[in-house]
Amino acid sequence: MSIDKTKYDALVVGGGIAGQEAALSLADMDYKVLLVEKDLSIGGKMIHLSKVFPTLDCAACITTPKMSETARHPNINLLLNTNILEIEKDNGIFSIALTIRPKYVKEDLCTGCQLCEWVCPVIVDDGFNNNMVGRKAISIAFNLANPKVAAIDMNHCIKCKKCEIACVPKAIDYSMQPQNISIETKTVIISTGFNLFKPENKPQYGYGKYPNVIDAMQMDRLIAPTRPYNSVVRPGDGKIPDKIAYVLCTGSRDTSIENAIGCSVDCANNPICSQICCMYSIKQAQLLMGALPLADITIYYMDIRAFGKGYEEFYQQAKGMGVSFIKGKIAKITQKDHNSGDLILRYEDVTTGTLKEAKHDLVVLSVGVLPNNEIAKVFTNQKLELDDQRFIKQVDELLSPSLTSIEGVFVAGTAAGPKDIPDSILSAGSAASEAASYINNI
Amino acid sequence: MSHINPNFAKELERYGAKDFNLCFNCGNCTAICSLSTKDNSFPREMIRFSALGLEDDIKSSLKPWMCYYCGECSTDCPRQAHPGELMMSLRRWLTAKYDWTGLSGLLYKHLSAYIIGFLLVIVGLIVFAAKLDWNQEKIMHFGHLFEMFAIAGVFAIILLPNIFRMWLYTIVRPKVKATVKVYYKAFSELLVHMFTQKRFLECEKLQETQIKWFEHFILVIGYLSLLFTTVFLDWFGSENMFIIALGYVESAIIFVVTFLFILKRAKKTEALHKFSQPSDWFFVIWLFLMGITAFLVRLFIDIGILQNNFWLYLVHISVLVQWAIIIVPFGKWTHFLYRSFAMCFARILELNDMKK
Repeated sequence: MSIDKTKYDALVVGGGIAGQEAALSLADMDYKVLLVEKDLSIGGKMIHLSKVFPTLDCAACITTPKMSETARHPNINLLLNTNILEIEKDNGIFSIALTIRPKYVKEDLCTGCQLCEWVCPVIVDDGFNNNMVGRKAISIAFNLANPKVAAIDMNHCIKCKKCEIACVPKAIDYSMQPQNISIETKTVIISTGFNLFKPENKPQYGYGKYPNVIDAMQMDRLIAPTRPYNSVVRPGDGKIPDKIAYVLCTGSRDTSIENAIGCSVDCANNPICSQICCMYSIKQAQLLMGALPLADITIYYMDIRAFGKGYEEFYQQAKGMGVSFIKGKIAKITQKDHNSGDLILRYEDVTTGTLKEAKHDLVVLSVGVLPNNEIAKVFTNQKLELDDQRFIKQVDELLSPSLTSIEGVFVAGTAAGPKDIPDSILSAGSAASEAASYINNI
Repeated sequence: MSHINPNFAKELERYGAKDFNLCFNCGNCTAICSLSTKDNSFPREMIRFSALGLEDDIKSSLKPWMCYYCGECSTDCPRQAHPGELMMSLRRWLTAKYDWTGLSGLLYKHLSAYIIGFLLVIVGLIVFAAKLDWNQEKIMHFGHLFEMFAIAGVFAIILLPNIFRMWLYTIVRPKVKATVKVYYKAFSELLVHMFTQKRFLECEKLQETQIKWFEHFILVIGYLSLLFTTVFLDWFGSENMFIIALGYVESAIIFVVTFLFILKRAKKTEALHKFSQPSDWFFVIWLFLMGITAFLVRLFIDIGILQNNFWLYLVHISVLVQWAIIIVPFGKWTHFLYRSFAMCFARILELNDMKK
C-alpha cells in the first residue's frame, strides 16, 4: 500500500465502535489514519453484545460490516495488540511512541484456518465469553475477530510446538519480541471507551461469592447469537433459570463503594447515571422472555431512564410483555440455602414503603460505566485534563463536544462520558469533522 | 391534616442532622437495616418525614428509638445522606420535645447553655461549701444526701412527666386503646431492654456488634450498681471490705469503658462516631470523670490522704452535680429511659395490632 508507515494525518486510539467510525470518516475524506487497538481485534464492547436497543438488531450483524470496512480501508492502517507509550506535541505535530506486543504468530502469513487451535493441548479461560467457557492457548480472539489472526497466550503456552508443526504457512514464531516504533501525526482522536464497573466492588451483592449472581455482560454473552451454550443456564448448577432478577444501578449513582471496600482509583465512587443500564436490562429482559418463555423477570430500579428515541416505547413494550418493574434499590443479596443456590434480595418497595425480601434463582447485576482514562498519562508535555468523574474533559461540552484540553486532540464516544451506541457514533462523527477541519487549518 | 414545613430541616441541623436532604429515596437504608421489619420499617420513612417537616408524625413515632445506630445505613447510603445520623438527631429532637421544661432543646442547640450550666453549678458549690465553712465532713455528708435527693427529685420532677408526655404523643394522641392486660404484658419488655439492650445484638456484623453490645452492657451495669453502692451502701463511708472492693470494680469499669468510647469518638472510624455533638461528648466525658474521680476519692480515703487533698472530692462532687442536674435530666442520659419505654410502647402497639 502507498501509506508511509511513520507519518499520518490522524491517530485514532481505540478500535471500538466510536474509534472505527472516526477512523472511517477521516479515511473517507482521504486522510491517512492509524488506528491503534490494545486488544487482538477491533470491535470494542459492541462486538460482545447480543442485540442492541431499542430496535433489537443483532449487534454482531451491524457492527461486523463496519469492522471489515475499517480493517480493509486503504487509508487506515491497523495496529493491534499495541500500547501507546508516549505522546509528545512539538510545533503542532504529535510524536508517538508505540509498542506492539508479540502475538507469536506472523500476521501477514496467518490465514485464520484454526488448525493450530485444533492441535493445541492447553485450555485457558475465554475472556471474550467472560470466562464462562474455555478456549485454546493459541487461538483467534473470538470467531468474529477482525483481523482474523491467531495469537498465543504466552502465560499459558507450554511450547509443545504442536501448533508450529500444524501451521501450513509457517506463521508461528516463538521468538517474537515486543516491537517499539514511533510515528508522527497531525491530530489525535481519543476513543478509548469505558470500563464496566467490577461488581465484586459491591460486596453486598455477593458477586464472586454466590455463583448465580452474574453481571449483565455475562448475560449478554449467554443470549448472544455467538453464545457459549445453546441455552441460558445459570453458572451454579447449569439449571435453566425461571425467576430472574435485574439489579439496576450496580456501581452507578452510588457513592458508598469506597466505604465498603476502601479502594481509591479504579473502583471509586460513581455518583452519576451510566445512561445505558436501564435500556440494556430492558433489552435483555425482552430477549429472555423469548429465550425462556416460562421465566419470570423482575427489574429492580431506582428510576427508569428511557430518554432516547424509541426508548420509552421500548420500556412500555417490556412492561406489556410481562416484565415486572419494582422501584427500590437492592440493599443486599444473600444465598441462604446452599443446595438450591437461590438468592434472597432484600429491598424496600419504595412505592408502598414496605420492606420486602424476594427469592430469585438468577441475579443479573446491571453494572455501570466507569471511565477508562489511562491514555491521559501518556501525554508528556501537554496535560489531557479529566472531568469531575475522571472521564476525558470536554472543554466546550455544549458547542464543540469533541474538543479536549489539548489543541489537536479530540475525544469520541464513551471516553468522554457514558453514551449509548447511536450517541457514540454521532460523537465520533463530530470528532472526525473537528479533526479534519483542524488538519486543514494547520 | 399534615402541614409541610421546609424549615424543619434547618431546625434538625441544629440537633446534628447532616445532608439528609441529599436522599433520593432508593430505600437502601431501610433494606440494609437489620432491625427494620415489614411492619416497622425505617429509616427512609423518617428521612421523608424530616424532609417534609411532618413534625407531628415524627413526634408520634417510636421508630427513632428502634434504631441502635450500627451505622450500616450510613456506610451503604449511595447518596452519603447519613441516614443513621438523621435518626440520631431525631432522637435528640424527640428528647427535646418530650422535655416539658424546654431546657433539653436549649442545651442541644446552644453549647453556651451547657457551659453556663456547668459554671453555675461550680459557683453554687463554692458558695455552698463556703457556707459550711469548708468543713470536710459536712460537705461529704451533704454530698451523700444530695445523691439521694437528686435521684428522687430529677425523676419525679423531670423524667416522670417527660415519660408521661412521650406516652401522650405516641399512645394517647394516636388514639391507641390498650387494655391493662396489654400494658402488663408489655411492661416486661421495658425491663428487659432497660437492663440488657438485647435488641442491639440483632444489628448486623455479628462479632463487632457483640463486642459493642458487651461494652455498653457492662457500662450500664457498672453505672447502675455504682449508683446503688454509693447511695445505698454508702461506699465512701463504708468499712466493709466487700463494699469497698465492689465500688472500685464498678468505678473502674466506668472509666475504662468510657475512655474507650472517647477514643472511638475521637478517631471517627465508624459511621456512628463521625459526627459527635457536644451532648455526646459531655455524656461520655462526664461519665469518665465521674468514674475516675470516684475511684480516686475512695483510693485517697483508703491511703489516708483525702484530708490533705480535699480538692479531689470537690472536683468529684461538682462533676457529679453537673451530671445529675444537667446531663441526666436534659442530656443524652435520657436515652436509657426513652429507648426502654419506646420498646414497651412499641410492644403495646404490636399487641394491639395482633388483637385486631
